[in-house]
Amino acid sequence: MDTNVRMILFKEDQIDHAAEAIETLHTQGIPEKDISVISGVPFSEKILGRPMSWTRVPQIALAGAFVGFLAASLLNFLTPNLYRMTVGGLPLTPIPTSIVVTFELTMLGLLISTFIGVFIETISPSYGPKGYHPKISDGYIGILFRCPTNVDEKTCLELQDLGAEIVNPAEVKQP
Amino acid sequence: MAVDAKSLIGSQAKPHHEMEAEELRKEHLLLDPMPREEMNQMVMDAMQTTTPRYWAFVIGFGLAVVVLLFGAWGYMIATGMGVAGIRRPVYWGIFIVSFVFWIGISHAGTFVSAILRVFKAEFRRPFTRAAELMTTFGLAAGALYPLIHLGRVWVFYWMIPYPNSRWLWPNFRSPLVWDFLAITTYLLSSTIYLFLPLIPDLAMARDRSKGWRYYLYRTLSLGWRGTEAEWFRLRKAIGIFAFAIIPVMFSVHTIVSWDFAVSMVAGWQSTIFGPYFIIGAILSGVSAVVTILYILRTTMKNFDYFIRPEVFDGLGKLILIFSMSWAYFFFNEYLLNWYGGTAVIKKILTLHATGPSAWVWYVMLICNVAIPWLFLWSKKVRRTPWLMFIITLLVNVGMFAERYTIIPLTLGHQRSPFDWGIYNPTIIEVSIVLGTLCLFIFLYLLASRIIPLIPVWEVQEGQMSHTLRKVGKTTMPSVTELE
Repeated sequence: MDTNVRMILFKEDQIDHAAEAIETLHTQGIPEKDISVISGVPFSEKILGRPMSWTRVPQIALAGAFVGFLAASLLNFLTPNLYRMTVGGLPLTPIPTSIVVTFELTMLGLLISTFIGVFIETISPSYGPKGYHPKISDGYIGILFRCPTNVDEKTCLELQDLGAEIVNPAEVKQP
Repeated sequence: MAVDAKSLIGSQAKPHHEMEAEELRKEHLLLDPMPREEMNQMVMDAMQTTTPRYWAFVIGFGLAVVVLLFGAWGYMIATGMGVAGIRRPVYWGIFIVSFVFWIGISHAGTFVSAILRVFKAEFRRPFTRAAELMTTFGLAAGALYPLIHLGRVWVFYWMIPYPNSRWLWPNFRSPLVWDFLAITTYLLSSTIYLFLPLIPDLAMARDRSKGWRYYLYRTLSLGWRGTEAEWFRLRKAIGIFAFAIIPVMFSVHTIVSWDFAVSMVAGWQSTIFGPYFIIGAILSGVSAVVTILYILRTTMKNFDYFIRPEVFDGLGKLILIFSMSWAYFFFNEYLLNWYGGTAVIKKILTLHATGPSAWVWYVMLICNVAIPWLFLWSKKVRRTPWLMFIITLLVNVGMFAERYTIIPLTLGHQRSPFDWGIYNPTIIEVSIVLGTLCLFIFLYLLASRIIPLIPVWEVQEGQMSHTLRKVGKTTMPSVTELE
């Protein structure tokens, strides 16, 4: 079936209408995966009646923390054995003084990998309709959807009734 | 006269609750919403407005960095550490004092941003970025000092652990290596913590810029569109950072305090040094935030809309609390040593208060305790930005004096009286210290025209969740959780 990618805009104070518009798209038979919401401020999924988003950032962060912990353990416990400098009465690999290095490197791993996680997910290909309009950063709420050509006109009219501003497809661009 | 009478009648005609609402709006940024488009434009205008006076300051501070910091440091490298005033018995002088001072200053950004975010203190919203930026530049200034203090800076890489022909293998359990790791961790994480919430605002700037600015913001905003997935990911990441960076912040200054506390120097070996240093760091850092906010408010276009007296009021309360906490730790440390300490520590404490440099000790107590306690209890003072500017500047003078008392003044009077001495910083040392201050101001001046200093999306989010509600005969602010 042929589809058009459409974008509609609502002003920031028309959040209720935006939620209704999504409901209208559902009733037109447009599946969730073909709808995408973009906004200048974060709205929880519950507000717009959208499915929960997911991210692997916490898992990537934990993996990074583990790598940091491993690196710290190697520095603390492996290097003294590689280059032994035994001082009488003192242990070669004392644990209390190693805790500081372990903590710092674990946290470094956690925090850097959090950012790496965000970066990787940002540049990874995403599904769903794509597009952008500079009005989004002016606080507008944008709804992008793939609409079958046969119901396109009817859907647009219904959305206009809800106060939506239909964006000309030529203006829907990538940032 | 007729006009006056009319307006008076008009204002009297307003219902009481409406007047209250008007007052509340004037008072609180989050109750005084403005269309996002206008707020964006205000922030962009502030960022893009540069006057000849601004450029004069940039050039002036840039030159000061070259002459005072790099000139004096270069001279010290070429001539040797003998040009510095550090000599037996004081080997840690004003460089280490400044190192501790700047690391302390850097604490506020994270404290203000992360802790207030975790506890959902709403007044934080307009100034978190200004504070985070201070953390990054404060750390950059502070991180120079270990290198400056090193003397032979060209072999700094000997500190880095790697198998080498000299068979040098640094001890990872040395507090100096802890310092290196802690500062690196904190610098990297606070820079990322500054960057993450900045992405949506960089996208906003991208949509309104042309030329080099457009390319810069387009690159830095990582193709941000504001999709649900992007916001969700950003929120998760900010959440992880806000919680994880707090223990890192505590660890950094604790480790700096351990540089002192694990040594055999009388007056430094104390279990209370960690929390004492942290409280001092937060006191000086929050004060520095107020100082910077006052300067931003008075020098940057449109900032008086975002930075209102409520911000100074909130931060003033925090300063008062931390001043009291600092005094508690100071007294705790002082009393125990005075009452049951060894003769040498008693002598050091006596000399702090009565010796040739006693004025430093008194400056510390006056600026850190007397001034905040005398003035900050007053709401009127806390809500007067220029008064807060003076008070917070003095608090930081006091905190510098505190570090000076702890380091050279303590080192100068150790166990053997024949080895006592007084440390006097030389002109080279003072130049370098002033140079780093200029470096901090220079970096901040530049950043203020490149980075949107107001987190517009966070302000708008706050404004959307705050409303005024009529309760009985009065109007009250009401907050909705949008997250």
